[in-house]
Amino acid sequence: MARIKGYPEALEKKLHDQKFYADDSNPEFTKSVKSISRTIPHMCYQCGTCTGSCPSAPRSTYRIRKFMRRVVLGLENEALTDPDLWLCTTCYSCADRCPRDIIPTDVIMSMRNLAFKRDIVPVNFLKTVTAIYASGHGVPNNDVNRAAREKLGLTRDPPTTHMYPEYMPGIRKIIDHYNLKANADRIIKEREG
Amino acid sequence: MAEKKKATTKKTPSKKEDIKKVAPVKQEVKKQAPAPTAKPKAAAAPAAVGSTTKQEARVGVFICHCGTNIAGSMDIDAVQESSKSIPHVAYVDNYKYMCSMPGQTVIHKAIKDHNLTGIVVAACTPRLHEPTFRAATKDGGLNPFRFEMANIRDQNSWVHMHDRVGSTEKAIDAIKIAVAKAALLQDLYPKSVPVEKAAMVVGAGVAGMQASLDLAAAGIKTYLVEADTSIGGRMSQLDKTFPTLDCSQCILTPKMVDVGRDENIELYTYSEVHEVEGYIGNFDVTIRKKARGVMTPKEAEAKGIVGGGCNGCGDCETACPVVKPNMFEVGMKPRKAIYINHPQVVPLIYTIDFDSCVKCGICVTACGPEKRAIDLEMKDEFIKVKIGTAILATGYDIFPIEKKEEWGYKRFENVITSLEFERLICASGPTGGHLVRPSDGQTPMRVAFVLCAGSRDNTGTGKPYCSRFCCMYSLKHAHQIIEKIPGCIPYIFYMDIRSFGKMYEEFYYRIQDEGAKFIRGRVANIIEDKATKNLHVMTDDTLLDRPIDMEVDMVVLASAVQPSADTNRTRKLFGVSCSMDGWLLEAHPKLNPCGTTTAGVFLAGVCQGPKDIPDTVASAEGAASAASIPIHKGEVELEPYFASCIEDKCAGCGMCVNLCPYSALSLVEKDGRMVMQVTEAKCKGCGTCGGFCPGGAIWMNHFTTPQIVAQIDAFLLGGEQ
Repeated sequence: MARIKGYPEALEKKLHDQKFYADDSNPEFTKSVKSISRTIPHMCYQCGTCTGSCPSAPRSTYRIRKFMRRVVLGLENEALTDPDLWLCTTCYSCADRCPRDIIPTDVIMSMRNLAFKRDIVPVNFLKTVTAIYASGHGVPNNDVNRAAREKLGLTRDPPTTHMYPEYMPGIRKIIDHYNLKANADRIIKEREG
Repeated sequence: MAEKKKATTKKTPSKKEDIKKVAPVKQEVKKQAPAPTAKPKAAAAPAAVGSTTKQEARVGVFICHCGTNIAGSMDIDAVQESSKSIPHVAYVDNYKYMCSMPGQTVIHKAIKDHNLTGIVVAACTPRLHEPTFRAATKDGGLNPFRFEMANIRDQNSWVHMHDRVGSTEKAIDAIKIAVAKAALLQDLYPKSVPVEKAAMVVGAGVAGMQASLDLAAAGIKTYLVEADTSIGGRMSQLDKTFPTLDCSQCILTPKMVDVGRDENIELYTYSEVHEVEGYIGNFDVTIRKKARGVMTPKEAEAKGIVGGGCNGCGDCETACPVVKPNMFEVGMKPRKAIYINHPQVVPLIYTIDFDSCVKCGICVTACGPEKRAIDLEMKDEFIKVKIGTAILATGYDIFPIEKKEEWGYKRFENVITSLEFERLICASGPTGGHLVRPSDGQTPMRVAFVLCAGSRDNTGTGKPYCSRFCCMYSLKHAHQIIEKIPGCIPYIFYMDIRSFGKMYEEFYYRIQDEGAKFIRGRVANIIEDKATKNLHVMTDDTLLDRPIDMEVDMVVLASAVQPSADTNRTRKLFGVSCSMDGWLLEAHPKLNPCGTTTAGVFLAGVCQGPKDIPDTVASAEGAASAASIPIHKGEVELEPYFASCIEDKCAGCGMCVNLCPYSALSLVEKDGRMVMQVTEAKCKGCGTCGGFCPGGAIWMNHFTTPQIVAQIDAFLLGGEQ
């Protein structure tokens, strides 16, 4: 745990102890990430192949190697509260190349699941949930698209839930089973009022 | 085993009675088997079976504490107390270290004082201390094969470290089983076989050459078999060696010349081992001498061409119209269909590549009527030699790094392997020592070295092990380009720099001081700029915590190494195992790294696992020393564990003959019928035949049916037989 020196508040914040102490680790976190992700995050040897392969890394502060390190050390709070957790595009380039045969993308996904359990999730992700609940699509069809499809000689709507709305109740049933929609609505309301 | 024990002993008394009911049947079997030993006829065939077991067995049990290795995990007093009540046990003692001199004295003394007939030591493993305790048994006046070991450490206290009650129970079981066997042990006498005063070394790289030179210097006739046309191996392809930077060829060629000149070394280049028969001391090896199409002066003389044969003048090569890539130069230089690898080859004899030769006969004319060295109709020859011991030094190949597609080898012209770099930077190489980009012949000014290319890789495409010498040669490469190309910057992409040898870390310091840039990150992928053929090396600078896109002129992949192509075939001929990664398996990774599980066959150099040159030479000298011991001793003692045939029972069906993995069995005619006969020196006592024989006619010495049945009884019935 970070040591508190007892300086005045502003100074204490500025000189905040950033050392890693053994009791910052939660070994259970490593275990649960391992079991949810069904891969071997504890075997990471920090070579950097994942970040080197990552399309997100050059344009953001997202460092997948850093997240892998946090899993190895069990730094639960640090990993789950870092907003970078949501910058992975899930392209799986890191999983293709990892020499230790870990699937880092799945490790990120498992941490997102754990974060969501603590209501840590960006609102745009929740709005995607709402969109899927409404239309069966994260990115629903729109008029621009429909016009383009018509021009290409395609149907205005693709043969998905857009064309077969009778399947929507099934999709909603699945989402409701996990209380996803209710939780999303609740959190959006909390954040945006 | 402990669970099984619980399953039987912890059941209700009624179940135990069931087992007892079964027991008499087993005992009948037991009584049958030793019968032939009592018959004088059978006793004559297997001599070692002759000893009687009539005297009542008196077994001494000695329990070792192994410091706290054993005593820390079980109740030694309880084990001792229980052992006293085991049938046939006449004496029980324990000691802190049974393997120590005082410990062994306890055994001697007990044998004499208590008139013991069998010894059980409950301690570590037979592999570790069987010889020790056999010697102690012998010193006490008993036949050494009257000793039996109960493993209560490796298979008990170490694995059940936290289960004191369980491990104590299991130790008692193990002792009961060992006592049951010890009570039935018989005197056995090892056989000695003479050892042929000759050795064979397979592979003439630096390991094979060093081993041959050592054996030859020790006065042993050595057959050195090499698949390539010249000796020298991988080391002759290298330019300089780390960390001393001496020229590889300069230090190697004197050895090559010595090998070529040594009277005790019979060199077979362009040859391979075709067949191996026999056993330690008496291997019969057939060498396949491939047709090289060119005769040595000696061979020419044998054919009546006096003063003829190849003198290495090279007239044939000049004349030959067929052009092929020279694989010694990793395909970067042309050669003819009749060729030598490089000017310093030993022996200096040309070779025809018959796969490419069009048999136009121009070379025959060029060679002239005096030498008449070329014979386009030459055929493979098979030569049989007899040897006592053999050393395998089959070396390594480069892992086909194009399999790791993200680095673009064979897709991008300016991505090369380290071995190609060695040839390009070498003064005798295809470019005369000028490092150039394969795409345009320009001198590269930024060179990236990719370490762990295919090593330390668990994906299944690469190799899981560390190839051990890539870090160091890449440092050397960095030094060479700094030295040869002013202003050229080497970028070394690494995960860890493993500079573990003598003066290696100092070398690392020196190269960093010379200006090499070290970037800690494994290369994720390489992208080629189509216009310039420059390469973009993409990775994460893990220390800076930023992704990198480094544009360079050339990339050198420090590719992993793997066992050479023919290793698997050769090892099977000699009966040597390999580990999961394909490297040949040593007898013990620490205490017997040159030996193998096949007596008389030894390993030298990289075929056992990646090694740099100093380690390779050391291992070769170790192998040579080990291989010379049986030869100098003149005879080897074989464990008397061989199978023997109970001729009265043998139906002569011959099914065992085909089963034997060591070709030790044969059918012979005796008293007008066929019976099986064992060549004792070849038999390893594996028990395949004994377990199979439908008539129960095969007697496995030291693992006899009565002994094994008694062990099973002791376990299932808790020693109440």
